[in-house]
Amino acid sequence: MPNSEWEKVREALRKPATPEAMQEAAQAFAQYNKVSLGKGNSRPTLVNLGKGTGYPNAVPVDKIPEELATNPQFYNLMKKIVAREKS
Amino acid sequence: MPTAVLMSDFDLPTRSASGFLLRYIAPKVEPVQLYSFLARRLPFQLSAPQSDIIIGAGHGSQTSFTGQNETVILEVGRYNPREVRGKVIKLLSCQTGVVLGPDLIKNGAEAFLGYVDDYVWVTDADLASTPWADDLAGACLLPVIDGLNTLLDGKTAEESLDVELQGYLKNAAAEEDDLIKSCLEFNHDNAVLLGNTTARVRRRPNITIPLPPPPIFLPIS
Repeated sequence: MPNSEWEKVREALRKPATPEAMQEAAQAFAQYNKVSLGKGNSRPTLVNLGKGTGYPNAVPVDKIPEELATNPQFYNLMKKIVAREKS
Repeated sequence: MPTAVLMSDFDLPTRSASGFLLRYIAPKVEPVQLYSFLARRLPFQLSAPQSDIIIGAGHGSQTSFTGQNETVILEVGRYNPREVRGKVIKLLSCQTGVVLGPDLIKNGAEAFLGYVDDYVWVTDADLASTPWADDLAGACLLPVIDGLNTLLDGKTAEESLDVELQGYLKNAAAEEDDLIKSCLEFNHDNAVLLGNTTARVRRRPNITIPLPPPPIFLPIS
């Protein structure tokens, strides 16, 4: 069952990519990351095999909030992955 | 009969994806293995017509699949149908199932396995020199490997896809991290099989390589 922090990320990502929604999603993800993948010595990084997509192919998990807050294309990618909504 | 395995290796995602192919697929198939700087158009043009299966890991879009440093390997309208005719093609890449996959089938490929949206996963950047040891990445990439081995063991393309899909579901059910679980579900939803679902390739000898390859010291961007 998803934890409550993750539910907040999912809820935030259901909104259209406005600066306010992106900021909200970034904050929610930062809270989630503190209790999950941020632990330990590894450097977890979200990667993809896209080309010319407008977002980086590799985003360290601890940098996802920054990317969510500033990059609408990345926000829409996360929207599809997390909220299961096509942008 | 040879297998063309394209493994681009120049950034973190290609290092991670190709690392799993290098560890779990490459030892099982006859060369031709186009790794790193060999994952380019000309070596592919020379090797593909002689292969019965083409396996590729690299960046992609709806209309193209690329190799090392995003050099184009296959692009809609810019390849010779002889390179793909009668072959089973698996591309671990983003979005190639949207336009390129149907185009490959139209040009005579027997079956195409790919994805209609991005292929995403979480990898540990600290394990870039031994990507096959990355448990975070393995959650998503091992189902791909299991699907490919099913195909190389002589099963049909449909059985191969089913093994991959079941792997995602099994790993998602066991996964504690919600981001990784979301990636698994996303990849599951976007995996596609086009063309002849009963296509199969000649069974490969069952070779087990007990030792992993040595660490990769090639730089990545």
